[in-house]
Amino acid sequence: MLDSVIPKIKDWPINLIALKKDKIMQASIADTLIEFNKAYPTNSKIRELIQKTLYLERIRIKTDSWEVDPEDENEFWAKIKKQLFVADPSLIEEHKSQELHQEMLHEIVSRYTHEICGNFKPGVFWMARQVLRRIFARLFNAHFGGFKGLFYPDEKLKDKLIVAGPVDKIRNLVTKGTVILVPTHFSNLDSVIIGFGMDYIGLPAFQYGAGLNLFNSKMFNLLMSNLGPYKLDRRKKNPIYVETLKSYSKTNVIAGANTIFFPGGTRSRAGNIENDLKLGLLGTVMEAQREHYFTNPSTLATKIFVVPLTISYPFVLEASSLIEEHLKRTGKEQYLTQENNMPPWKTVWKFFWETFSKSSEITLSLGEPMDVFGNNLDDDGFSLDKLDRKIDVRQYFMNKGMMKVDAQRESIYTQMLGDKIVAAFKYNNVVYASHVVAFVAFELLRKQLDSPDIFTMLRTPEEDREIDFDSFKTNMKRAIDELYMLNNRKQLKLASHITTKELPEIIDLGIEQMSMYHPNLPLLRTKNGNITSEDLKLLYYYHNRMDGYGLQKYIG
Amino acid sequence: MAMAYKNTSDKAPVGVIGAGSFGTAVANLLAENGEVLFYSRRPDAVELINKERINNGQAIHKNITATADLNEIADRCYLLFPSVPSDSFRQLMRDASPHLRPDHILIHCTKGFDIKLEEGKTILDKDLILFPSDIYTMSKVILEETTVRRVGCMSGPNLAREIADFHPAATVIASKFEEVIKEGETAIRSKRLQVYSNNDIYAVELAGVLKNSMALAAGALGGLGYGNNAMAFLITRGLGEIIRLSTAMGADKHAFLGLAGIGDLVATCTSPLSRNYTVGARLAKGETLEQIIATSSEVAEGIKTVSISKKLADSTDIKLPIIQAIYRVLFEDLKVEDALGYLMEYRFGYDADYM
Repeated sequence: MLDSVIPKIKDWPINLIALKKDKIMQASIADTLIEFNKAYPTNSKIRELIQKTLYLERIRIKTDSWEVDPEDENEFWAKIKKQLFVADPSLIEEHKSQELHQEMLHEIVSRYTHEICGNFKPGVFWMARQVLRRIFARLFNAHFGGFKGLFYPDEKLKDKLIVAGPVDKIRNLVTKGTVILVPTHFSNLDSVIIGFGMDYIGLPAFQYGAGLNLFNSKMFNLLMSNLGPYKLDRRKKNPIYVETLKSYSKTNVIAGANTIFFPGGTRSRAGNIENDLKLGLLGTVMEAQREHYFTNPSTLATKIFVVPLTISYPFVLEASSLIEEHLKRTGKEQYLTQENNMPPWKTVWKFFWETFSKSSEITLSLGEPMDVFGNNLDDDGFSLDKLDRKIDVRQYFMNKGMMKVDAQRESIYTQMLGDKIVAAFKYNNVVYASHVVAFVAFELLRKQLDSPDIFTMLRTPEEDREIDFDSFKTNMKRAIDELYMLNNRKQLKLASHITTKELPEIIDLGIEQMSMYHPNLPLLRTKNGNITSEDLKLLYYYHNRMDGYGLQKYIG
Repeated sequence: MAMAYKNTSDKAPVGVIGAGSFGTAVANLLAENGEVLFYSRRPDAVELINKERINNGQAIHKNITATADLNEIADRCYLLFPSVPSDSFRQLMRDASPHLRPDHILIHCTKGFDIKLEEGKTILDKDLILFPSDIYTMSKVILEETTVRRVGCMSGPNLAREIADFHPAATVIASKFEEVIKEGETAIRSKRLQVYSNNDIYAVELAGVLKNSMALAAGALGGLGYGNNAMAFLITRGLGEIIRLSTAMGADKHAFLGLAGIGDLVATCTSPLSRNYTVGARLAKGETLEQIIATSSEVAEGIKTVSISKKLADSTDIKLPIIQAIYRVLFEDLKVEDALGYLMEYRFGYDADYM
């Protein structure tokens, strides 16, 4: 465990921001209103906007209400409905109507901003950290022997939760500017594990947007509400909410909040590493960097650093439900229910128990930090070109020597940043034995069955899923040889259990890793020594993790 | 909202890098709208341009000043038009990189690929396997080698000779950045050059390169003395192959129906002046590739393009019968007549299957 870069929790940016959260909310509300008046320049357009929002909100309240929703929702929107009637421009003077619409917009934006805003209390953070450390300590204790383990948890933690990558550099950058962490997203536990991992390497706590669905659990709500995350309601797709959320996130980044953005948007349904990013929130990071250069044209302007992070699990807590959802979506199923709760605590406990108490580990693989344009950085956060010369990145916002706001230009910069992040996800991916066995087994089976499509293949009866072990072994060898090649070319990383073990051990470990947690085993050995699967969907899910490296060519 | 940062100038000259025939034509076009700084790496050429006011048989506009100093051109210009052959493009970008800044805009005019190969391999090696990720268009080279992000390309039916002769023409400026298109258009649009825009720079670049192989085939048809029916057959089906290959490489197909696609293809396949066309015609007359290469100063871009396309088709499982046929003529001693016979027997099936 590394010392905290900023020793006192009360000095952390997240706490300093929480202390002035009212001011930040005001700034965010003002920013949202400016953006709306730019995008909807006439009274009638603002009216349409409010009408559309009202309509969508009333449908949401009727069809999809949650425990966490405020009690006065119906009243609030009924009031807006009335106000809309009063503000009808065909009934009153234009300027009066305009005033009333602006008031309504302000009210809605303000309500949303308060809903989104999170809080941070150093005391709650300190307690949560202690509790989490104890829990993890107990878990390692189970594996590493006896009562003594309880007192030396840290020694083993580094083998169980591995934080890899340029840790020292990132620790330094936290003191030089604002760090935006962009992780892959596989599980609802990601944020807890990343939070724990970043705390472990001594970084001050990050802010992030947690799905409002998680706050339906009362205990979680109580705890999380004071640990910094702001609330993100994916049911609300109306333009006012979306813009308010973006402004809130931008205002916080400008204020210096080190933030975690999951650029994939939601958890990866198919189990693959994200390659299609949602650029909305990432775009606010670009805007924040531009704001810094506008308000401070000297070299002292705050710099924003982007750090990609790829998480590797031997198995994923929600794998079954995620892949089901993915298949329903790709199968064009019309109706989908959104999973709106944390998994039960018992399941979460089992997940950690299996992960930490057996021979497996979680890796948080940090990528090389970059500026918002994807350039490399030196240890002090200066942007470097390919020849390691310092470059003045503010010029990216200039045209012929003049700073100019150009939203279209920035949207392309954001796309380019997204491409860099996707590439970094892939080459920082730490490959586990479970990922390789799943990939090879599934591809072999795909060739063996030759089904017309993935859905037919997934319905293959159990007795037809057997793979000859010798063929499996030969293909594993080929896949691993190719993985070494890719590793040499820095296109991915290999877990130490792959580089230090022999092939038969890797195969056994891979099968074991995947099977520790799931009741129906994605892979198992048959009595006659061959390989089979009790759950092809799960096997498909784990296989997808290795998609996009061109490994298919070597199988079969 | 705008804020002055350092010396600002709307009157900064526009730079052209590369003093070949197309670079010269571009410099002359730009000079009609303002001052142009014209880079050649050869000091003797620079002196000649500045003194004699002629280059590549083209008179040099009075607004053009030549220089052999990359630093000067990068320092004085915000907008640059690199126009050098694809073989030397990456090296040029490496040389220019120390002088280039994040506020530069680069619009390249180079229709070619850059391939990263292992040591000792060449693109003409028979056993070479290529994947789309091995292939760089010039905009990707710029992004990889320099800090410049605002990149565009100029492409279309723009035969240098005709531009030099003041014939009217149209071109496409493609970039993801509206700003780049606007700057490029303002700089180069004139009474003799109509400018269209496209945001799909990758497709526009691919269209510009891949048409080169069809120009070889067109030369071969011309060399055999065939007429317009055969040429129309080649152009249309050739376009199909270009589109099929490009979509396999990740491009969208729309740009191929515009000036940079079908427009450039028609111009190149029907102009007997191009190097590619000449190579095709000589092949049809019975010369071998070795003989042609031995007597040419430069390798025609089309020979490289055919080899690259064929190797890509092999790795992506797409069918490109025309390109396969040209490849076999170039590298496997198939006679042009036999290649044509093969294509006439090939069952293409549905006509516009590439849309």
